[in-house]
Amino acid sequence: MSEKIVINHLRKVYKTDEQETVALEDFSLEIQKGELISIVGPSGCGKTTLLRLIAGLMEPSSGEVSIGGKKCTGPGPDRGMVFQEFALFPWRSVRKNVEFGLEIAGVPAEQRRKTAERYIRAVGLEGFEDHRVHELSGGMKQRVGIARALVTKPDVLLMDEPFGALDAQTRNIMQGELLRIVEKTDTTILFVTHSVDEAVYLSDRIVVLTKRPASIKDIVNIDLPRPRDRASPEFIRLRKQILTELEDENVRPAVNVEALNGGK
Amino acid sequence: MDLSLKYLVYDKDNRHHRMLRRGIIAAVSLVVFVLIWWNLSLLLDNPAIPTPQTTWEALVFLFQNGDSISGMTMWGHMGISLERFFSGLLLALAVAVPFGLLLGYSDTLKEFSSATLEALRPIAPIAWAPIFLFTVGYTWGPILVVFVGIFFPVLTNTTFGVKKIDPNWVDAAKTLGATKVQTFVKVMLPAAVPYIMNGLRIGMGVGWMCIVASELYASFGGGVGYFISIQAQMGYWPNVYAGIVIIAILGILTTSLADYLHKVITRRMGIE
Repeated sequence: MSEKIVINHLRKVYKTDEQETVALEDFSLEIQKGELISIVGPSGCGKTTLLRLIAGLMEPSSGEVSIGGKKCTGPGPDRGMVFQEFALFPWRSVRKNVEFGLEIAGVPAEQRRKTAERYIRAVGLEGFEDHRVHELSGGMKQRVGIARALVTKPDVLLMDEPFGALDAQTRNIMQGELLRIVEKTDTTILFVTHSVDEAVYLSDRIVVLTKRPASIKDIVNIDLPRPRDRASPEFIRLRKQILTELEDENVRPAVNVEALNGGK
Repeated sequence: MDLSLKYLVYDKDNRHHRMLRRGIIAAVSLVVFVLIWWNLSLLLDNPAIPTPQTTWEALVFLFQNGDSISGMTMWGHMGISLERFFSGLLLALAVAVPFGLLLGYSDTLKEFSSATLEALRPIAPIAWAPIFLFTVGYTWGPILVVFVGIFFPVLTNTTFGVKKIDPNWVDAAKTLGATKVQTFVKVMLPAAVPYIMNGLRIGMGVGWMCIVASELYASFGGGVGYFISIQAQMGYWPNVYAGIVIIAILGILTTSLADYLHKVITRRMGIE
């Protein structure tokens, strides 16, 4: 898991009988190992499309994603994914959810159990190994989601608004937890979010997208030391800068600004 | 004295009280039913409507000594019917579940088979009885009728279950490296289980009707349905009623079993 991720001129066109809609236009990005990059953009601009293209869950119309010079075709365990609605398997226990990727890879049961336990501990769920998914709170569910995605040691963890379904307080806790986990496991993360606050709090770099068809409007480096103080003038300045960039993208700011701030 | 009186007052928040209440109401309902039957049989004074008492006596006799025509006790007939019922059930599950999963998964297969399936579905399973009895005999005939009866509800529900699968589950499995076959076995099958169980629950009710009806057709081979049919031909009405009572009891038992399995498995799978 030491490879650089290169996204090269990614483009996606949706075709229907009547028309073609360009969802993503010429998206190129290089992600260094261990980087945490957030992607923010106007509602419905194609952030999720971008993530699904990188995950291999969708075919790009042109362009490619490569890891360490090797082109990615289709989904694979080298790109882990964390879903907004968790997407945990309710018929499996916490342990069995986390073990899923190892099971698929044919790892022997005993080693599977050991590895899974290590990741369950890493996300702070020790003692809940044999619980069922419906017994967990939203925050705990997403911890399982993260552990399940990390267990195959992906080169990059793709997170699609992972904390969007959580309440504000749990969300802040999970942001802190994510940074702790990242530090421990040295994972590279591509993080899609609605919340500019979240992006500034977490990221090394923030990619700001234009409205549909999405393309890169700006890439903002965040050099603030961690843990970051949301009330510091520098934090607020960066937040404001990115919000302003996003507002420029909205035809009707009165409606969309609210949507952008919705999750914070 | 005071203490015991306290328990006589109905408390709707007490689980045992609620269960007792339901039990008493069900018992009263059964007693009322038997009384109506009894009165009707006395009023109409028709040999084809024996009293509950003669029916009961016939039932006891049949369990102990059997009947002279088939030479079997009621236990024997029950065993034959149940064996056929569960054979048909297993056969239906073995075919309908994989087929249903594939139908939900592959649009091509669905398009290919839907015309045939839709043509066959409305046919009452019992309409196949004469054909099956003639072609595969008195054991496999009723089994196949049960198979047809259970096949369609299980098939429809399984396909529906696959359609209702959260697409995120499939995506999650794919991003964890699952192949198509692995996704099928490890995600689609378990996710469809509650729906399969629902189909099974409906199918078991249908299947039980099928087994009795197809045995009524048969003139050999035993089974509760066959027993009723020969007793009716001879005019041994209390025996006919005894057979009907057995069918009712076995029917209730099989559907309760299905309900219980549905509840347990659905909870076990974490899907409500």
